[in-house]
Amino acid sequence: MFCKRGFSMHTTVKSFCSSSYLTTIPLPSKRETHMWYITPDELKDASLIDQYLNVLSPSEKENVIRLPGDKLQRSAILARTLVRTTLARYTNSVVSPSLFKFRKNNFGKPEVDWQCDKNWKPPPLHFNLSHTSSLIACGVTVDMPIGIDVEEKQRKTRNNLSSLARRFFTLDEVDYLNTISNPEIQRQEFIKLWTLKEAYVKALGKGFSAAPFNTFTIRFRGTSRLSLQKCGHSNSEESEIIVETLAEPKNVTTNWRFALLELASSHYVAICVENKRIKGVENDPPLLKVWKTVPFIKDELLSETDSVRTISSFV
Amino acid sequence: MATISATSSIRFCSSLKLSSSTTLQVNGRTSTVKVTHAGWKSKSFPSLRCTGFRVSCSAKPETVQKVCEIVKKQLALPADSELTPDSKFAALGADSLDTVEIVMGLEEEFDINVEEDNSQNITTVQEAADLIEELISKKSGA
Repeated sequence: MFCKRGFSMHTTVKSFCSSSYLTTIPLPSKRETHMWYITPDELKDASLIDQYLNVLSPSEKENVIRLPGDKLQRSAILARTLVRTTLARYTNSVVSPSLFKFRKNNFGKPEVDWQCDKNWKPPPLHFNLSHTSSLIACGVTVDMPIGIDVEEKQRKTRNNLSSLARRFFTLDEVDYLNTISNPEIQRQEFIKLWTLKEAYVKALGKGFSAAPFNTFTIRFRGTSRLSLQKCGHSNSEESEIIVETLAEPKNVTTNWRFALLELASSHYVAICVENKRIKGVENDPPLLKVWKTVPFIKDELLSETDSVRTISSFV
Repeated sequence: MATISATSSIRFCSSLKLSSSTTLQVNGRTSTVKVTHAGWKSKSFPSLRCTGFRVSCSAKPETVQKVCEIVKKQLALPADSELTPDSKFAALGADSLDTVEIVMGLEEEFDINVEEDNSQNITTVQEAADLIEELISKKSGA
């Protein structure tokens, strides 16, 4: 169900890359969440990276130059390109990628600093970026604060899991991890919990001091606990991810919705969005759409494919 | 807070060609180079190295140096990578787990204890060094 909005075309907007081609996308309706991702290892073409560099602002370019090494520089260029091109798609060609300006909210969360005049009302886009060295993802919504976090499935930690869990997780979460006897599955569940907690704090947008990890519990509600031990992954139809703050454990907050995905069999992605109840509108869970992109070159909608396996969907 | 700006020098590999729109501005105490267009002509992606740094009086250089070593180790960066005090962990390739592991590594190295809500708040080398010195002085002062 689309919420179509008309925008007046701003005729004096400069187009930076004359050869650029970026598919415009209708805004996510208020019942959708969109995610765009890039895999840096597949994007090494120097001329393409050159084109992307020119999408960045002067200060972003300065920051890139100061990074040690090609890989980090390329990754930084791709991250900024991903954010800029993704947001540009939703402005119906009004704002080109290089024209975006950003600012941070009072707590340091990046947001768009719309440069607009009276003739054009910018869409209320929310976005959040997450990167690992092998995948960079940008989530976008209309009117719903969003947080996303990506981690490699095979990620190993320098410290052992139980010391990390004891230190950063709540007792309930530690207990949950301790019920898992298979060390590999335990490691995977640790990573899943970590990404979900990270996504929640990022969605809240108030920094980590406002919601230290050990002040809230993330749990899978439903029969998933048993099925987890048996077959190694939660049954997505049955489990729902919920968050409880330790301050008010009985008052399970339904203000936030979670989704957990496995992307390309290599990464876990956790997405958290605010559950905004609109009067008179059914409070259905947001539909998630996922694209893999090579900006200006190719976009693939992968949400209904094997590349995107839903471990737990928005409920 | 006193700051000293060292001259920034940027060295480009020979395959990097700068367009005529590059400007070099020198104003007052700082010199900045604004690269407005740069192109890579070869197939390989050359690295650009910036050796400029700003030194602030908040943390000792040795502390900053040790932090850099631990960060490089956690993020598996080559030992000769040049980090600056305002290098952001995220920009160096750290994900959220790396950040806490860096902090745990620093705790071990400096024999300090970082509060939980601070562990995830540290985002740059300078912030880590400043916090370490603060905790060390609190410890010795107690």
